[in-house]
Amino acid sequence: MSSREILLRKKFPGRVFAFIPWLLGLVLGAVAVHLILILTLPALAPGSAYRQFARPLPLGEKRVLARAEPSMSRPSFSDPFAALALCRFDLKQGPLRLRASADGDRPLSVSVRLADGTVIYSAGDRQTPGGRFNIVIVTQAQADAQDAARERAEDDSGEAKPAEDELRLISPGKSGFAVVRSLALRESDYEKAAAQLDAVACSMEKTP
Amino acid sequence: MSNLKPLPIVLAAAVALGVAATLLSLRGEPGFDAVRLGPWSSWPRLGNSEIDPYARAVSAVEGALPLGGAEGLAFIAQVDETGSPLDARCDYQISGAAPPARFWTLTAYDSAGRLRTNIAERYGLTSAALLRSADGAFSITAAREARPGNWLPLGEKSRFILVLRAYQANTSALASAFEGLTLPTITRGLCS
Repeated sequence: MSSREILLRKKFPGRVFAFIPWLLGLVLGAVAVHLILILTLPALAPGSAYRQFARPLPLGEKRVLARAEPSMSRPSFSDPFAALALCRFDLKQGPLRLRASADGDRPLSVSVRLADGTVIYSAGDRQTPGGRFNIVIVTQAQADAQDAARERAEDDSGEAKPAEDELRLISPGKSGFAVVRSLALRESDYEKAAAQLDAVACSMEKTP
Repeated sequence: MSNLKPLPIVLAAAVALGVAATLLSLRGEPGFDAVRLGPWSSWPRLGNSEIDPYARAVSAVEGALPLGGAEGLAFIAQVDETGSPLDARCDYQISGAAPPARFWTLTAYDSAGRLRTNIAERYGLTSAALLRSADGAFSITAAREARPGNWLPLGEKSRFILVLRAYQANTSALASAFEGLTLPTITRGLCS
């Protein structure tokens, strides 16, 4: 064994140990990048349902999506028997009220989603009185302000109760969208299912 | 300073590895809590606030609008009863138990989640429109060419995915008692 080989063998363990901190840093850095991407993608993904369909929508307006067909890539995995209407909310601008009503024959459901896609509420028409939805989406602060305003009005006039069918939904996020889904019972029924969405109304509410 | 020479390389490698791991995880299943029932899989948490971050990311990148928990539940099949990938060059019989739901639909998609172009321009079947036998049983034939009875057209591309959506499902039967639940079987027939 030459003297150079002996020298290299002596240095080898030291070089390996010197590399370990870099290896740990590499692993930790990769994990950090991965977690940051996973956590930020729902809000940033350009193809998300919120960015594609809800974000361009003016507050208080309803958008009825075209029927799913092979040429459409979004929303992916769309049911061709489901007619969809969307409303956007931005609670910094004020609460959103959503009204929808089922015709009794075709299933109708409502879901409320945050901008990152998290579903915070959903219900079918058989879970609501008369198949009607009257949902007001608010922040906790807006709910407190509404309660205070109603208490004041009740003291003044004795009539300030919300509608009996009103569901107040306190959103954990400021922005998002509501989806109303009306189902066609058969191929020829789609137009009638879409007509159920005519009665869907979204409106901005004033913050008390 | 010479000790910091590997820093740019390590940083670049960390970013590359992190991005690669993310792309890999987005290709996988949407979530960790899959429920398996024969060839069918479902991810019940996709539709509620307990959704995990990976499922949320997959859903956003795919541009999907998963059903809310109380709206229903979607079951996805990429394989038949034997575990073989679904292939449109073959016929499939889909029969047996209907999901405990108010209404259900069955639809075929390509792997990107698009409906499949087909000569009949029909993209699915519904529980309300099915032809049934006297005892209420049904059988659906998924095939490229027209078949008598309940035909689900498959289009030309070979690989496909089936999605069974149980709308306004009986949540006690679906969401919390999957063990007792049976869904339609998917049996491969003749292949061309």
